[in-house]
Amino acid sequence: MSGDSKRITIPIGPQHPALKEPGCFTITLEGEKVVNAVVGVGYNHRGLEKACEARTYIQDLYIIERVCGICSHTHSTAFCQGVEELAGVEISPRAKFIRVIMAELERLHSHLLWLGVAAHEIGFDTLFMYSWRDRELVLDMLAMLGGNRVNYGINTLGGVRRDITPEMKQLIHKTLNAVEEQNKYYIDLALHETTLAARLSGIGKLSHEDALKYGAVGPVARASLVDDDIRVAEPYAAYDQIPVKVVTDGHCDVFGRAVVRVLEIMESIAMIRFALDNMPDGDLAVKFPRKIPAGEVFSRTEAPRGEDTHYIRSNGTDKPDRVRVRAASEANWHGMQHMLEGDYLADVPIIIAAIDPCYSCTDRAFVLKDLDRGRERVWDWQSLKRYSIDWYKERGFDASKIKLAERRI
Amino acid sequence: MSGEEKVVALILERYPFLEGKITIQRRQRIIMPPLNRDYFEDVFQFVVNEAGFRRFHLVIGVDDGEDLGFIYALSNEDKIVLLLKQKAPKELPYIKSVCSVFPNALWHERELVDLFGAHVEDLPPGPTYPLPDGWPAGNYPLRKEWKVEYFDRETMTYNPPAEASAAAGTDKAKEADK
Repeated sequence: MSGDSKRITIPIGPQHPALKEPGCFTITLEGEKVVNAVVGVGYNHRGLEKACEARTYIQDLYIIERVCGICSHTHSTAFCQGVEELAGVEISPRAKFIRVIMAELERLHSHLLWLGVAAHEIGFDTLFMYSWRDRELVLDMLAMLGGNRVNYGINTLGGVRRDITPEMKQLIHKTLNAVEEQNKYYIDLALHETTLAARLSGIGKLSHEDALKYGAVGPVARASLVDDDIRVAEPYAAYDQIPVKVVTDGHCDVFGRAVVRVLEIMESIAMIRFALDNMPDGDLAVKFPRKIPAGEVFSRTEAPRGEDTHYIRSNGTDKPDRVRVRAASEANWHGMQHMLEGDYLADVPIIIAAIDPCYSCTDRAFVLKDLDRGRERVWDWQSLKRYSIDWYKERGFDASKIKLAERRI
Repeated sequence: MSGEEKVVALILERYPFLEGKITIQRRQRIIMPPLNRDYFEDVFQFVVNEAGFRRFHLVIGVDDGEDLGFIYALSNEDKIVLLLKQKAPKELPYIKSVCSVFPNALWHERELVDLFGAHVEDLPPGPTYPLPDGWPAGNYPLRKEWKVEYFDRETMTYNPPAEASAAAGTDKAKEADK
């Protein structure tokens, strides 16, 4: 209990209530209302920037891709294009289009993931399950293109590592049709479902002026009528050749952030379709020097959560002198205290979740040890899936007989 | 005249001594030379209030050997990014907080304290960021002389050999504070 007997201060976290990510929120309440909030982060600091200084640029790419599980491609794109600028290397037009397609698929899966998390936080678990089911379709596409559900490893210095074949293109189009159809339902929910609007409206307020003052980025800023989007402000990769419509909303609250994200899903789908149909032929990657001339670069990309910035300083060797990464979440935390104050304790989880803070994803390929036979082997996704289906079948539950809706690929 | 050239002309009109030192790296990128604190504060106010660079993205710490560098990334309504640089001697790395102008500089400046050992005057009170509780005092991991191989994670102690310890020097700013 604080000095004022009417006030009580409670710590929430480090395992905080919205996402399974370490962060500590010290909330001071007067009754049920939040009168003060102190955000504490840093529990997950891994020293990546120091690690980058001791490794070569190509080794750093693997570190940078793991800054965030969800926005991994956006980070590696920011890093690659920064190093490419330092080296004076222009990548092929086809590689630029592939980077955009991956980036927009990443945005799709990130926004669908957020929609599920947000729905879960407000007790709308049906929507949570729907959106995560649909997200699986997108993850399947990402896995098909990159070989992983997260950390796709598509980018390399000088271009991309994998191509998109006509068969893959066809499958992506088919998947997009399914995701689009389902997203129309989410848009309808977001715009017309009264319980959803009642639960999300008026909480986590961030006015247009405050969004600018606290440096909000991405959907958080755009839901406060700040029309900033690096894809338009400073087009990178192939965004200068693809129509990009910036979605904004004037609700300035959690509801607005939900509206922006579901509408952005439609825009991403349109961008991927355009990119697939207009992708030029060409090489995937160009020859890239090992040593990078001395210089500095400030590289920006638009992650699903907003602007990612990478500052890279080179010194003429094969290792960078300095790498500074600022992810979008780092920018959006600054306004969190302001967003929480004045709202009810019960709204704290959804307000935190509404900025879509980052958390790590687990890798899907791992080593399993057969204890009976004492063997180890790496299981790929398909074998894990088969194992799972067989495991349940042996126990009387045959998942393969479940008929999902026709829209399922 | 491009937007970038107009910005540079505006700055040079006010600060002629910067002639030939400001670089237009490419479209939407202007890089300023490192400035001493005395000049920096005045130039900072000018580029924010009169040149229109009212969006703050972050401040980046760099180790320049004898000096610590602080690079403030700002942008204007034309989406031009200006990298405004300040330098301070590593032995006495005093800089002034810009939180009163840009509240979103708070965590970035706390990071300069933790990782580079900067002394940020007028930094609002609050938790440190991002190093963990129990991190040994006087250890600034993003300084070049700090080597990860000398750090013992188990005991949270930094144990350099004698010559490396001498090279790393002491935190004279702390001594000065006393």
